[in-house]
Amino acid sequence: MPHFPWQSIALNPLAAFGILLTLGVIGGHIANRMARLPAMTGYALIGLIIGPASLHILNEELLRAADLFVNLALGLALFESGRRVDLRWLRAERTLLLSTLAYCLLVFAALYTLLCYAGLNWQTSTTMAAIGMATSPIVILELMREERAEGQVSDRLATATALSSLLSLLAFAVSLGSAHLLQQHRTTDNLLTPAWLILGSSLLGLLAGVLAIALKRWLGHQRQHRTVLLFGLITLLVGLAVMLDTLPSLALLVFGLATRNLRGGESISEPDLLTGSHFFFVAFFVAAGAWLQPQALASHWALALAYLLLRSGIAMLFWFALAPANCLTRRRGLWLGLALNPLSGGSAMLLSMGSLALGTQASSATACLMAVLVISELAGPWLCRLALQQAGKLSKEY
Amino acid sequence: MLEFNNSTPLTLGVELELMIVNRRDYNLTRGSDDLLLLIDRQPHGYDIKPEITQSMIEIGTAIHTHCSEMLQELQAIRQLLTHNAEKLNLGLAGGGAHPFQHWSEQQIYPKARYQLVSELYGYLAKQFTVYGQHIHIGCPDGDSAIRLGHYLARYIPHFIALSASSPFYQGMDTRFQTSRLTSVNAFPLSGCMPCVENWAQFNDYFQDMAKLGIVASMKDFYWDIRPKPEYGTVEIRICDTPLDIVTPTLLAAYAQMLARQCMEQQWRDIDPAHYLTYSYNRFQACRFGFDGVLVNSSTGQQTSVQEDLLTTLNQLQQHATALGCEAELAALRARVLKRQSDSQWLRDVYQDSGSLSDVVRRQSNYWMHDQPD
Repeated sequence: MPHFPWQSIALNPLAAFGILLTLGVIGGHIANRMARLPAMTGYALIGLIIGPASLHILNEELLRAADLFVNLALGLALFESGRRVDLRWLRAERTLLLSTLAYCLLVFAALYTLLCYAGLNWQTSTTMAAIGMATSPIVILELMREERAEGQVSDRLATATALSSLLSLLAFAVSLGSAHLLQQHRTTDNLLTPAWLILGSSLLGLLAGVLAIALKRWLGHQRQHRTVLLFGLITLLVGLAVMLDTLPSLALLVFGLATRNLRGGESISEPDLLTGSHFFFVAFFVAAGAWLQPQALASHWALALAYLLLRSGIAMLFWFALAPANCLTRRRGLWLGLALNPLSGGSAMLLSMGSLALGTQASSATACLMAVLVISELAGPWLCRLALQQAGKLSKEY
Repeated sequence: MLEFNNSTPLTLGVELELMIVNRRDYNLTRGSDDLLLLIDRQPHGYDIKPEITQSMIEIGTAIHTHCSEMLQELQAIRQLLTHNAEKLNLGLAGGGAHPFQHWSEQQIYPKARYQLVSELYGYLAKQFTVYGQHIHIGCPDGDSAIRLGHYLARYIPHFIALSASSPFYQGMDTRFQTSRLTSVNAFPLSGCMPCVENWAQFNDYFQDMAKLGIVASMKDFYWDIRPKPEYGTVEIRICDTPLDIVTPTLLAAYAQMLARQCMEQQWRDIDPAHYLTYSYNRFQACRFGFDGVLVNSSTGQQTSVQEDLLTTLNQLQQHATALGCEAELAALRARVLKRQSDSQWLRDVYQDSGSLSDVVRRQSNYWMHDQPD
């Protein structure tokens, strides 16, 4: 009997990536037009449906083949998020800086207490509380673009998001160090691990910033070349950070921050990188949905829900209380707090970095975080968009 | 019947429309509400109000007799605005038009009048996101205001060349010194005041237009110069908002000196023939600035805007002395001799950086902090 190719058909990475993008766009469109949900919720839902947890059209191996695009999307978002931190503004408006610091500390303390109370050991609690401090830059930036949000709520949201990511990464690096301590590594390791993660990543980001500005000057008025250059440097930075065992997210945030605040870097991403990056973002959200494991909810739904509610509740109350000091009305402060809801999509990657150090509790922490992410990836964007709408910052046509 | 509220002759006031930009890519941003809310938290007594789109804000001075007092007030308003804008991470900038904004992204300010304008004029209302300086000159009565309006029409190209600061529009170099006036020209009631001879005739004209349902108030006229009966002034509306805080006072001083000359000479030469070359001369100044060629409708003689300006400035010496604005006259003369214009400065910045974002960033530093470089 003859053998035909379709009898043993298996998707190759290219076909899988095509499916991921095509179905993602369709899902986003349906979510947006029919269910009035943010497009990214549609992307994630499609990912969830076609991913390993459901229809298994895309398996883990194929999803890993899309990692290049996913990492690039995350890199672009973190770079752009870093560029939203204007140190000149923070000098003039110290309240925003101090508020964000206080907010992050409060979230950290509350989540840590909750997780310890739920029976997790202090290393795992510290790591997961550190992750919970951050708001997702990619979700915030994409929603602000999708909804054309402008004004004080969105400006403060973008800055608080970037700063919370920065603080979260710093806290994560320190918690890894402390986890090493418990694993009875040498003392030098306990100090070197966080120091390398923080300083190495920051130095990489800073060097990339200086290099980008120098190359921009050299390229002169060639705007298209400048855009390609930035894509190139972002990709290189992600790659180098992984090769050197540093934190790619921190390096990219610092890269963005450096180009925004060093002389000569102000207009480095003109035209706006994000407008040309939608392709990567669709891939990111579909892949993020595909990696979700809803079965984790069965065992960890209560803790996940408590984790998210506590985080949102603190954010809303905190920004409500400090709204007048932040040049906002109380109502807008409340919605700013809600808008900070989406949890960073890179959390799972972070936790996997720390899984060795967490030892026996690693699987429990991963399952708990997965349950948190299932809820957050689907509800977070919707809540954030609702908050932006309520804050009255979205387009109103007259 | 329009009542002209008489005012002290030759008193002055200016209004400046300013851009509100974000400090990320320096595009226009909807910041007027937030800025006004913050400013109004503290008592200040200045005239600061929203404009047709949410990326505009307008400031107005009190009534002054001398430009130096006006400069002091403008500096105080700027300090207030800058302090609050920095808290909100907003930039404020002069300039007649934003270099790369897209008109379709602008949003009409939620105020009844602006919504009516938007309903009537459609996309023209959003394209009207341009920024001008208005100069008010006090007049003793309506007849004087009509005479002064016609008298100043001949000097409109001078004001255009001196204030031109909008060479870029929608991301392109228009090759004009001011592109702002092209947006104004699209309105059906733009251009110049009809050739009426006194306040009674003007009133008749207004009543006719009102009966025809074309206008409801003086605000419906988008003329380059128009009487403002409620203030008792003539309002020159042709200037782009200059990039710095000093130039508006120089322009006001120039208007004040010309007005004094008109009143002292008891000028009455109102003639439709003078308007034959009005649009052409206006275009020349918009396109070429100081290098534009002006045609005298009476003699047919052609002169450059620069030459004509220098001649006029020389004739104004006695009025400058009488008004105490000799320093302003000297500053104007120096600028004209050097052909110093904001448009050229903007082009130089663009040449240097290749980025329109950078242009607006430096524009904003210029207006907020007097830092041209």
